[in-house]
Amino acid sequence: MTKISVTGTKKDLKNVIDKLHQLEVLDIRHYEGELSTGSPFKSSEAVSELLVDIRSLKSKLPEPNQKTGEKPEYQDLGDTVKKLNKRVEELEEEKSEIKKDISSIKDQKKFFSKLKGTGLKIEELEGTETLSVFIGEIDEQKFQQNTSSDAYQICNGEKASVIFYKNDVEEFENNIREARNKEYNLIETEFEGEVEEVISSIESLRKQLKQQLKSKDQQLQEISDKWSGLLKTKESELDEEIQKAEAPIKFASTENSFIAEGWVPSEKMPKLEEELAKVTKGKIHVQEEDTEEEPPVKHNNNKLVKPFEDFTDLIAVPRYNEIDPSFMLLLTFPLFFGLMIGDVGYGLTSALVFLAGIKYVPEASDMFKALLWTSAATVIFGLIYGEMFGFQIYESPFYRADYWTEIFYIALGIGVAHINIGLLFGAYNEYVNHGLMEAIYAKISWIILEIAAVAGYLIYTSIGSTPGTAVIMGLGIPAIAMIYKGEGMEGIVEIPSLLSNIISYLRLFGVCMAAYTLAGTANAIAAPALTSGTILGITAGILILIGAHTMLTFIKIMEGAIQGIRLHYVEMFGWFYEGGGKKYAPFGAKNS
Amino acid sequence: MAVDGLVAIGAAIAISVTALATAWAQAKIGSAGIGALAEDDGLFGKVFLLAVIPETMVIFGLVVALVVTGFI
Repeated sequence: MTKISVTGTKKDLKNVIDKLHQLEVLDIRHYEGELSTGSPFKSSEAVSELLVDIRSLKSKLPEPNQKTGEKPEYQDLGDTVKKLNKRVEELEEEKSEIKKDISSIKDQKKFFSKLKGTGLKIEELEGTETLSVFIGEIDEQKFQQNTSSDAYQICNGEKASVIFYKNDVEEFENNIREARNKEYNLIETEFEGEVEEVISSIESLRKQLKQQLKSKDQQLQEISDKWSGLLKTKESELDEEIQKAEAPIKFASTENSFIAEGWVPSEKMPKLEEELAKVTKGKIHVQEEDTEEEPPVKHNNNKLVKPFEDFTDLIAVPRYNEIDPSFMLLLTFPLFFGLMIGDVGYGLTSALVFLAGIKYVPEASDMFKALLWTSAATVIFGLIYGEMFGFQIYESPFYRADYWTEIFYIALGIGVAHINIGLLFGAYNEYVNHGLMEAIYAKISWIILEIAAVAGYLIYTSIGSTPGTAVIMGLGIPAIAMIYKGEGMEGIVEIPSLLSNIISYLRLFGVCMAAYTLAGTANAIAAPALTSGTILGITAGILILIGAHTMLTFIKIMEGAIQGIRLHYVEMFGWFYEGGGKKYAPFGAKNS
Repeated sequence: MAVDGLVAIGAAIAISVTALATAWAQAKIGSAGIGALAEDDGLFGKVFLLAVIPETMVIFGLVVALVVTGFI
């Protein structure tokens, strides 16, 4: 990466910006100097206003159904978008009115349905000056026992009763209160007549409203089908235009000239210079700048490693002078995944899931491509274990159920190797950034500590306690002193985590065992049905197998991916990876 | 492998208590993490990192269980 400054005349500003946008190589930085910075092109305000309108319209429209071939005609885009926006807003408002009406008559219907069978008219429920009305659920027997007067009448409906009573008799109110279970308030309605009639009127009104709602939705859909395509292209065009119009904000500006600063990959600099000279007829000056600033980072990996870069960036973008651990993910992430899940069947089904991911979630397609490697590894380990969906497919010399103890130690061994590779990477990073001694103090010291522990243990148990202790002390104490010198107190506090990180790799063994057992359990559940001998039983057995193994595919993808990736993020990267670099985002590139 | 009753109970305690501890820690970290993610999607990597750290506890539980049952 080289930091450059581009100086040219204001006359050429637009051409230069257009060219830079097209070339997609310069990561423009804000000018930080004594000169004042430029102002956006005049068009920018109008363009951003139009863009806001288009985005708001897009957000309100439903997804377009089909792509219509016809191109919508319009004269002034801004005007058209404003009109469409207004129309859509009107439709939305009408829709919400209708929805409100529908919910109100739903309440009415619910209420009046309770009174079905009373044979009453709606008008009667309101009562008169001398007659009060109770609507609700009531313990009729209790009420009748308590009441001595007979100046009342009870009408029973399907779910509620109505009591008419003279309001000059005092006992009614009291007795109703004592015997009632629930009281309903009379809901107002525009309809008149008997309860049944009202209900059917409400029902037909509801149908009518639903129809209206549907027609409004239809109209919105039509607008969307017709305009969405155009809006989408215009949105990206305008977005580009705004980027260009606002670029001068980052430039230094004088009366007649401008200066742009930014980072460009060193090998692309000559081409940039040449192209800019072409559009300005030579009236441009490109100059390398000396700077202390840390350059932005662009992953430099081959095609195989590329999909794994997203997994690295998920934690942190690497710094400029730091090993990019993406290739480590390619080497060991699929290995861990395969070792844990190891089953030909799940390798294939998980590949299907990832292929679907590539197709339907294009923005994460790189991650799914990386995950396809894990499927391949799962198939390979499936062949090694001789397993397919939990069934033994052939007499494998390494059928995992016979080798749990070995897998346990293999997991530990992988842990030791993985963490030491991490330490070596760390040593390299320290060497590049702080020199050899720092690399030895901060990272190699840990390896010496490990050697002290292992050698000490071996000598202690085979030769004797005195030489053993001597080795542990002799190597261990200097190693700890070096750690203290290299990483300070923090390093000393971290010492136990060396052991805990290695033990953490036993999850490879744990998940391996769980994966084997889960598949076996699914098969065991289906076995009685499959061996029942009846067609129904066998069908049921097959259905159980399909359902269980589909579910297990997702469980295993989750377990394999999470456990596999975290062993990198937490256990391994912790020993060397700093991250915190700034990603190279060239002006004009899609995702910048 | 035949395992004595008390040993089996010991192994069960080792696994279950560490599993509960992991679950409790992950529940707390997870809910705080979701809160952070609602503010800023870019934190996913860091939240993921924090959320998986307590998992190691249950692996320790597994190791202890395997040791007391004589597996290793």
